[in-house]
Amino acid sequence: MSFAGFAWKNLWRRRLRTLLTLCGIGMAIGAFVALVGFSRSFEMEWQRLYSSSGTDIAVVDKNFMNTSVNQSLQEKLRTVPVVDKADPMIFNIMDVTPDVNALVFGWLDDSYEFSSLTFISGGRFHNGKPEIILGEMLARNLNKKVGDSIDLQGSSFTIAGIYHGGTALEAGAVIMPIDQLQQLSSLQGKVSGFHVRLRPAPAGESPEHYLKRAQAEIEAALPGLNAQAAADRASNNQFVGLAHAVAWGTSCIALLMGILGIANTMAMSVFERTREIGILRAIGWKAWRVLLLIQLEATVLGFVGGFIGIAFGWVALRLLSTLPQTASVVSTSLSWVHLLEALAISILSGLIAGAYPAWRGSHLSPVEALRHD
Amino acid sequence: MTSPQLEVRNLRKSYDDGRIEALRGVSLTINAGEYIAISGASGSGKSTLLQLLGGLDTPTSGEVLFEGSALGNAINLDEYRAHRIGFIFQAFYLLPTLRAIDNVQVPMMAVSGNSFSRAERAEALLSELGLDHRLNQFPNELSAGERQRVAIARALANHPSILLADEPTGNLDSVNSGRIMEILTGIQKKRGMTLIIVTHENDIANAAPRHIRIRDGRIES
Repeated sequence: MSFAGFAWKNLWRRRLRTLLTLCGIGMAIGAFVALVGFSRSFEMEWQRLYSSSGTDIAVVDKNFMNTSVNQSLQEKLRTVPVVDKADPMIFNIMDVTPDVNALVFGWLDDSYEFSSLTFISGGRFHNGKPEIILGEMLARNLNKKVGDSIDLQGSSFTIAGIYHGGTALEAGAVIMPIDQLQQLSSLQGKVSGFHVRLRPAPAGESPEHYLKRAQAEIEAALPGLNAQAAADRASNNQFVGLAHAVAWGTSCIALLMGILGIANTMAMSVFERTREIGILRAIGWKAWRVLLLIQLEATVLGFVGGFIGIAFGWVALRLLSTLPQTASVVSTSLSWVHLLEALAISILSGLIAGAYPAWRGSHLSPVEALRHD
Repeated sequence: MTSPQLEVRNLRKSYDDGRIEALRGVSLTINAGEYIAISGASGSGKSTLLQLLGGLDTPTSGEVLFEGSALGNAINLDEYRAHRIGFIFQAFYLLPTLRAIDNVQVPMMAVSGNSFSRAERAEALLSELGLDHRLNQFPNELSAGERQRVAIARALANHPSILLADEPTGNLDSVNSGRIMEILTGIQKKRGMTLIIVTHENDIANAAPRHIRIRDGRIES
């Protein structure tokens, strides 16, 4: 009989309690996998959104959500030598139906960013007209086709095209003429910022150095605005930050509950096995070995609960990716790093939860423990 | 001249802030290979003395010396219990979730060895005690006599030099009681071990070459 086998037999003697505890920690780890996975996939989608359109730099005001940048700065931006393309954009979130809200982008009808889209039916909208194009996933969820109309903020828009986008964010989005979105938002002449595609880097200059130089040149040409590398913008925008904060905050609460569940199980187990711990001490087990046994049992609970949690989390992500409300921002792909993090957290949870019961068990007096009823 | 295996010097043990005195200045010497019975009425202090001899507890004052070294000071109590002492209890104290062969392996896990060698030794010990057909039974599937034999095998697992038995026949009928005493005395003779038995049964106490009577925490004779 191995030491680990002994620990497992101790856990298995109270099968129902062990299974319920595993479910508890499994739910907690599942919440972590689903929520943090969701927030990370959201961040990844943002990165892909920029990279698929070939955007190198986002020129924005300090506040991401502000639509306060003058559109007229576009001409000045285009005169910066490193700039190949520079198009204005507005970003917003709107209720498309009472149940479904979607990302809404405002573009010019000749924006270079159309290059990342492939039209399944119809085509581009036209500036100045109440037209929109829909991502294929959103069109499917809304059961809409080209020629149908959609009501946004009290105005009717005709669907000019349905496109296939390179990212889940685009697949679930609405794109409309920037002037129409300005009218809806009562922000005529204002945009959220500009997306910039740079000219190719000169021979001999590293891409990183070129990007930094371009940022500096743009910021010098447009004082008061930030020229951020697209990858940084994707990771550091307020939506992603908020998603990360909510995911981690909720996960921590769930993990705390899971840890308390394991701690309760281990405390009960140590109490019930007081005499057995006394026997172990009487036959020569040192205090640290008793501590190790109880910690191992708690860690096994955390470890097995971690695998259950990963399964729960994956199922939750699958479900979220099929719901119209969340499909546009959820990817079901889980990275190995995320899964290893989940396992590490589950093992750590077991260690933390087992610490006090293990300490208590290992410090029992052999004689007192043997007398325990 | 060699020192005694165990030497007890003016041992006192009190509980409840001194209100209960279990032992009141006990002194004795025990040589290696001796077979000793300790008897006395309930609450006389005989089990407390056995616990102190076995390093399960520490005295309020006085000391227990093993081969000239004080327990708890020069000798670590965990090491002492793991390597030198084999305990046998009245209520057997087998672990209910483990099979007989696994119960015997538990003390060996405190020492060393791999699981294969542990299992091999456990099987040999149980076979020696006539339980080779009961290796895979759980304690609740064994008779009282068989449980005590498993407990004896467990006590022998780490090759101790001293066997301490606290009322080993207290939960057994007369047939099993006689069988267990035969086994214990047989082991003591065959292995040259020191055997110290606490009992309240006169027959068993009188059969021992050396009989210590305890009354009110003191050695009476």
